[in-house]
Amino acid sequence: MQDKNPLSPHIQIYSWHISSLVSIGHRITGVINIIILSAVTFWIGALLMGENFYQSIFDFFNSFFGKFFIIGTIWSFTFHSLSELRHLIWDMGYGFELKTANLTGALVIIFSVILTVVVYLLGRMFFNV
Amino acid sequence: MVQISLPQNSRVQKGKYYKDKTGSKNLRKVNIYRWDPSNGENPRIDTYEVDMDNCPSKVLDLLNKIKNEIDPSIAYRRSCAHGVCGSCAMNMDGKNGLACTKPHSEIKGDINIYPLPHLKVQKDLIGDLSTLYKQYASVEPWLKNSNTKREKENFQSKEDRAKLDGLYECIMCACCSTSCPSYWWNGEKYLGPAVLLQAYRWIIDSRDEERKERLKKVADELKLYRCHTIMNCTNACPKGLNPAKAIASIKKMLATS
Repeated sequence: MQDKNPLSPHIQIYSWHISSLVSIGHRITGVINIIILSAVTFWIGALLMGENFYQSIFDFFNSFFGKFFIIGTIWSFTFHSLSELRHLIWDMGYGFELKTANLTGALVIIFSVILTVVVYLLGRMFFNV
Repeated sequence: MVQISLPQNSRVQKGKYYKDKTGSKNLRKVNIYRWDPSNGENPRIDTYEVDMDNCPSKVLDLLNKIKNEIDPSIAYRRSCAHGVCGSCAMNMDGKNGLACTKPHSEIKGDINIYPLPHLKVQKDLIGDLSTLYKQYASVEPWLKNSNTKREKENFQSKEDRAKLDGLYECIMCACCSTSCPSYWWNGEKYLGPAVLLQAYRWIIDSRDEERKERLKKVADELKLYRCHTIMNCTNACPKGLNPAKAIASIKKMLATS
């Protein structure tokens, strides 16, 4: 086929399904998680650099943006873990029927939000802040 | 590779507007992707006002009505009009399907009709499927059995025959493959749901003697494992089949054999 033939529109026009949204979400949160893990290692490393250095990170976590960062991090990890669980069940050969897949996809989204709230509140209780 | 935006020559422009001439009160707007290979212009979206009082129920009927009564220049494939041949596969309302089995009453608002996604367009709603056909040929979709001297039928148990249900019904309309983002980005190398479902149809056939060779052939980082279970294929299939499950079955066979 010559180059003059146009390419038909694809992602611009294709409607989103729960399954495709969770799939792209899984991939994006996977990348974010790797970046966050590096940040967490930096945070732990900062413990070794003394109190003053640690204070600046503590101040960041207590700022508005810091709280957004923490909640975002928790969501990213819970979403990715739940979605990964779904993938593991698929790998065993179950849950491919359209209804089941849509249901589990919706459950991943709903429970990732619920778990985020739970983990955040538990964390606050645990650290007494 | 992943290219989100369309190439320069594929950007869609605003096209002509065909106003209703029948004076009907029950009108719907139909937006159709048009590309004319003869004049070097970019693709465009033409809008037709269609009198729905005198139009049968399916999207294909709507296209036939436009071609017969408003604009004979529009090009699309169709043959059986009963969901058996797979010719009229296209993208309607953002979802792939067969125009002959999709009722236009299921579509809310204006009716948007595009060719199957991420194909080289030959004209209007006709996409070039030659890559997919080459990939189909590459899985050697025929029975391989060395016994050529058999004088009776080649029997199969009811259980073995049942394994082909949900596979043999595939009409190769390409709705699934062209709905798959993985196939959009890696269509040259990834076989795509339609071809993998066909591959599995022969892998699982109890009469076929080359299961191992067939499995070995598809066991490839690009050919098979570009499937990330996005499930757009199963969502799109107009025959209600499950290519995602077929692909997972191949993966499982490879992991457990």
